[in-house]
Parts: sequence; C-alpha cells; structure tokens
Amino acid sequence: MTTQVPGDALVTLDAVNKHYGPLHVLKDINLNVRKGEVVVVIGPSGSGKSTLCRAINRLETIDDGVIRIDGKELPEEGKELAKLRADVGMVFQSFNLFAHKTILENVTLGPIKVKGVAKAQADKDAMALLERVGVGQQAPKLPAQLSGGQQQRVAIARALAMKPKVMLFDEPTSALDPEMINEVLDVMIQLAKEGMTMIVVTHEMGFARKAAHRVVFMADGQIVEDSTPEEFFTNPKSSRAKDFLSKLLTH
Amino acid sequence: MDVIIENLPLYWNGFLRTLFLSTVSGVIALFVGTLLAAARVSPVAALRGFSTAYVEILRNTPLTIAFFFAAIVLPRLGVKFEQFEVAAIIALSAYTAAFIAEAVRSGVNSVPVGQAEAARSIGMNFGQVLSLIILPQALRTVIPPLINILIALVKNSSVAGAFFVLELFGYGRQLANANGDQVLAVLLGVAFFYLLITVPLGILASTVERKVAIAR
Repeated sequence: MTTQVPGDALVTLDAVNKHYGPLHVLKDINLNVRKGEVVVVIGPSGSGKSTLCRAINRLETIDDGVIRIDGKELPEEGKELAKLRADVGMVFQSFNLFAHKTILENVTLGPIKVKGVAKAQADKDAMALLERVGVGQQAPKLPAQLSGGQQQRVAIARALAMKPKVMLFDEPTSALDPEMINEVLDVMIQLAKEGMTMIVVTHEMGFARKAAHRVVFMADGQIVEDSTPEEFFTNPKSSRAKDFLSKLLTH
Repeated sequence: MDVIIENLPLYWNGFLRTLFLSTVSGVIALFVGTLLAAARVSPVAALRGFSTAYVEILRNTPLTIAFFFAAIVLPRLGVKFEQFEVAAIIALSAYTAAFIAEAVRSGVNSVPVGQAEAARSIGMNFGQVLSLIILPQALRTVIPPLINILIALVKNSSVAGAFFVLELFGYGRQLANANGDQVLAVLLGVAFFYLLITVPLGILASTVERKVAIAR
C-alpha cells in the first residue's frame, strides 16, 4: 500500500521470552514498529500472537528481554506504568466497555480521571470521536444496549480519546457477527490512512491486504515471517505460512 | 399481652438502642469491610496477608469472643471507654466487617477480568480501577448478600445485652425477670421489635436485587 517514509522506531521488542509453566509462548521475539506503521500479526491460534499484543502494554508480564515504547523501557507495576499505558491504546476481542457507564462516559472517563481534562472539554472531544466512528446517536445508552459492532467502535473511540501514540488491536473482530465485521474494519482502515501506528492481531486477511505495511506471521511462539502483505500472500517463504494460507483459502 | 402494652416505652427505648447499635456498627463494618476487600485483591502481598488473616480469624470464631476481647482485653491494653456500648460497637463492627469483606471480595471476583484490563489499558492506577470500575459493579451484585449480613448484625447485636448494654434484648431480659409469669409474652414482644427492623431489610434486599442488576 502507501509507501510512507518510515519514522523512528516507536515499539521495539528485543529478545522477548515468556513461559506459561512449561509452555514457551514467546520465543526470542524481536520486532520493530516505526511511527505511522501498520503491522498485522497473524498466525494459527495458540501461536502467541495475542500474548505478544498484550505484553506490549504489560497486561502480560514477560520473563526476559526488553520492550520499549518511544524509547522508554516498560516500567514495573506502578505510576510510571499507568502513565505509559495511557499512551498505548488497546482494543480487546470482547470490547470490555465499562458495563455500568454510558457510552459517553466510557469515552470521557480516561481523559477526565487520568489526564485531568475538564468535563465539558472531554464531553465535546468524546462526542466528536463517537461521531467519527459512527455511533454519536448512542452516547446516552449503556453498552449492553448496543450491537457488538457498535460496542467495538465505541471501544476504539475510548482508546483514541487518550490520544495514544500507538494502538493495539487484539482480534478486534473475532467476537463479531459477520455483518458487523466490516463496520469495525472500516473504522480501522480510516485510522490507518490517517497515519496512526497500529499493531493488529487479526484473522482478517482483507484488512491486512488493504491497510497493512507489514505482515508478521507467528507460529509456536516464534516470528516465522516478517514481510509486506503482497509478498506474504503471494509468495510465502516458510512451509508453516504456506500451510496456514492454504487452509484459509480452501474455505 | 398486657405486659407488652404496659412496657411499650421500655420496648421502644430498647428498639431505638438496637437500631442505633446496628446502624453505627453497620456503617463502620461496611467501610472497614470494603477496605479489607480492597486489601485482599491489592497487588501488595502484605496487605493481602493481613486482610486474609483478619477475615479468617474473625469469621471463624464466635462473636462472644470478639465481645470479650473488646470489653475486657482492650481496656487492659489502655483503650478506655466510658460506656460498654462503645465496646459493643467495636466488637460488632469488627466481627461484621469480616463477613462484609468476604461478600465484597466475591462481588469483585464476579466482575469480568476484562473490565479491569480495559481500565488499566487507558492508564488508570490500581485505586482508580478499583473505585471507578470494579467496586461500583461489584457492590451492585453484592447488595443482597450485604443486606443479609446486616440482618445478621441486627440479631447479633443482642449479644451486647449480655455485656450490660441496654438494648432490646437487654430490656427484654429485665422484663422477663420482673414478670416471671409472662415470659412468653415478653419474648414475643422482643421478637416483634426485631422483626420490625429485619423484615423491611429483607424486603429491601429483594427490591434492590431486581433494580440494580447490570445488563451485560
């Protein structure tokens, strides 16, 4: 897709390892994501791609290696970590909207409580974001009253409200009915076009083709391939990737 | 039944004392219990250990031991109070707080873990995650069990009667001693006034349960 001048490294993973008991879920992961880059992470389930995504804002701890965001190493639990997380937007598979708050409050809570933005300003910004993702009408409702696709778009707005440097998407469309997937992907494609740095764990090959600069293929906790979408889809090098792609295409 | 009519002011007085004891102890226990529950889920191991030990000890020993401790041991340790009523409030709230902590903790566990993850991922610290996201949702699910604990507290407050605190049960005992031929009526009167507090609480519990359920 668009050939952007690659910016400075924004997210770097350096020899990252993680175990769940005897299971080695992340094996010596090295990854660089530059400013404005959209990286899609794909791979069979259990390949560690979600763990990788969650490790980047330390929802999962790592055993060794270094993760840096904008040059700063991920801090231990505490104030510093909270501050850094505010710079990293996260969108979950199961939306995770705050169930007891309205749609508007879901979006304004972070800016007001974490960044100290005045309520009037936060409301105004939040409405603009909700309009942008196409759910402005739903502002006074509770999350349970919205469809899955609408909830996920609110979740994206909630993350954007913190003005993050990078957005992480952990299988954002996997819990959605087929007819709702596109409304979420459209928002994500728009975001990519605007130059947002994104790391997207997904099974949506269409999104990878349309919006990604790079495709990272993971299997068994390792990064097996790291190439452009075109190269990956037309000419995968590893047998693991060929196998994975052939299974996708037969359905 | 004459004994009840004749001593209505005494009953009423006892009723008010019981209401007072229960309300003050209940409010303190709710506050302390919530703090204990927060400590139980905090990332600080020492807080978790303290909270667990407190809850397990208080919850698994008889209330009378808490009373003896508050009324006899605390004064020896230099904690002086003018009235036994203060000791009763300390004992009742310390004991009830343990049960409230357990109820709130189970409520916290009932909130999906994704709620906390989403809150952390927008940069909230532990206190904010707990007070803005987890507890408001947890408390709604635990209101009915909390009210049940408060009902138990109202009944438990009668133990104070044995420690020279004049409340409903204490007055009832006086009346029963003075009217040996009408003990049954006296006790029925006492029971009635307890029901006057506990039945409305029970109705409140079921009403609230229907109202505050969170749709997911």
